[in-house]
Amino acid sequence: MDRYYMGIDVGSVSTNIILMDEGKNVCYKKYLRTQGRPIEMLKEGIREMVKDIGEVEIAGVGATGSGRYLANIIVGADIVKNEITAHAIAGLNFNPNVRTIIEIGGQDSKIIILRDGIVVDFAMNTVCAAGTGSFLDRQAARLGIDISEFGSLALKSKSPVRIAGRCAVFAESDMIHKQQLGHNQADIAKGLCDALVRNYLSNVGKGKEILGPILFQGGVAANIGIKKAFEESLNMDIIVPDNFDVMGAIGAAILAQEEMKNKKRTSFRGFHIHNMAYNVNGFECNGCSNRCEVVEIRDEIKVLARYGDKCGKWSNFIEDDSTKLA
Amino acid sequence: MRLKVGIPRGMFYFDYYFLWKKFFNNLDVDVVVSPKTNKAILNKGTELCVDEACLPIKIYHGHVDYLKDKVGYIFIPKMTSIYKKEYCCPKHLGLPDMIKHSLKDLPPIIDTQVNLRKSDANLKKFAMDVGKHFGISSRKAVKAFNEAYKEYEAYIEMLTSKVIPIDVNKRYNDMAFITNIKKERYGRKILVLGHSYNVYDHYINMDLIKKLNNRGYDVITAELIDENRAREYASKLPKRMFWTHGQRIVGGAYYLIEEKIISGIMYISAFGCGLDSVLMDLVERKAKENNIPYTLLTIDEQTGEAGINTRIEAFIDMLEWRNRDEADISTHG
Repeated sequence: MDRYYMGIDVGSVSTNIILMDEGKNVCYKKYLRTQGRPIEMLKEGIREMVKDIGEVEIAGVGATGSGRYLANIIVGADIVKNEITAHAIAGLNFNPNVRTIIEIGGQDSKIIILRDGIVVDFAMNTVCAAGTGSFLDRQAARLGIDISEFGSLALKSKSPVRIAGRCAVFAESDMIHKQQLGHNQADIAKGLCDALVRNYLSNVGKGKEILGPILFQGGVAANIGIKKAFEESLNMDIIVPDNFDVMGAIGAAILAQEEMKNKKRTSFRGFHIHNMAYNVNGFECNGCSNRCEVVEIRDEIKVLARYGDKCGKWSNFIEDDSTKLA
Repeated sequence: MRLKVGIPRGMFYFDYYFLWKKFFNNLDVDVVVSPKTNKAILNKGTELCVDEACLPIKIYHGHVDYLKDKVGYIFIPKMTSIYKKEYCCPKHLGLPDMIKHSLKDLPPIIDTQVNLRKSDANLKKFAMDVGKHFGISSRKAVKAFNEAYKEYEAYIEMLTSKVIPIDVNKRYNDMAFITNIKKERYGRKILVLGHSYNVYDHYINMDLIKKLNNRGYDVITAELIDENRAREYASKLPKRMFWTHGQRIVGGAYYLIEEKIISGIMYISAFGCGLDSVLMDLVERKAKENNIPYTLLTIDEQTGEAGINTRIEAFIDMLEWRNRDEADISTHG
């Protein structure tokens, strides 16, 4: 039977799980909305995977995304990597000559600059999430458009309106003003796409030398309106990989494959985890004035992890280093 | 009972605490410092401070609030200028007034102005004014200040002899900004740049220095660079830098970049900082010209560490990746 590498990307908006064979082909992919319940979604994803293809042999597991440590605790990963490295690895695997990766996810937007197959520079959005997927989600909801139709609607625009893109709150009020003036939805949708791209290029992309080939990854790459807006603004072709929405998970799986060259057994905890009950407890430690918010995760038998404390009073209680959060 | 003056552990504390403490002690006044920034101080600070201010200013409000019923006086100097023809951030200029506006039931505030824009002679006036609060004669106050200043100079000398302030503090025991710093030297250096009150407040920056040390990197800060050297490099700017912190940050960074002493730069900036918007851009351009990796960490009141950890991890991955392929690197495609 074939052996597979599992890549998991637990992001703010989506939780993605993929299986990759030794030849780095994606054999299975699952894209779920995290909905603020990462543990449930991980279990759900694994459960559906077992239902779809059975309990195949897992040779290694890689975890990434802002919930990567949590994924490691629940599923058991051989390597836990940040999203930037994971996206760069996946992008390079898709196109070894890639020189720019645009990645826009739910709460993060990133630019990764590569030269000769090496990451030489990157940037992420600052504390503000304007210009990311959740911004579009929110505005689509306000316009009453399904997010999956947003892009094609934008393409129908003949004369896009200009919408302030610096801040999601400013954009919203600007957009409402334009609606009140009677502009049609397509022109407003295109205006929002342009605003997002303008925001991205002037913040995240500021001062970066954007050269082709350019890959566009992350959930927002599904939006053809945004892709078009990037192409118009940069005057360059934008390539959206087939698996644009799970590139982080693919990167994690490739990293797991690398990792397993120096490792005998995978740390994967097994497919049964989707049947396990996990209990998450949060409490405020009152040991000192830092009042750390400590999180404790237990399965049916034991405490799997504790984290969130600055001093290590709770997290050090767990013997295994790998379950400790940075 | 000896008089007690409170010094909030924020803003210029990280530059001048040593001087101030000696000065007050020479005046026979005890010094009480607020604890290291913690969640309670952050919460209090953001509650009390005007909304528009930057994070370190908000946190400073929290420190003052902590001290207000524990001491007879609080020392919040109006730091207008600490160098000839230069200025501090406008928020420093207005700090005592902001505090008095936003906090109630304060003990007397010692808000003496430090303004050396025209001449250093102003320091004498500063010493005399502070002395007056305690009924101390001008002559005695100036003498107390001069003696404290001599010891402060010895401290500065230690900094520039490559002892990171953290270590210096350990030696003096009462200035332990960040504890548990590893003593080993890894030889791979990252410049952690930014205003001293962001770089040395471990709560504000989520213990960045410790995180870098744990990953096997030494940390250099702008305070380790000899002031004259930093000024020499900052003078290469086409226009004179008129912020004193800017001289140190840009000059120090230019020196380290041009001399190829560091493998990367992480700039910690508080969201909305006006000075940083200029300084970090100057540093980033210079870093890029010289092919030194640079990244920006923006901080605000969020306490979730996932975002900052991702940026740190990705930055270190990049350094190591670049390092492995040093031979065939090409920055400009």
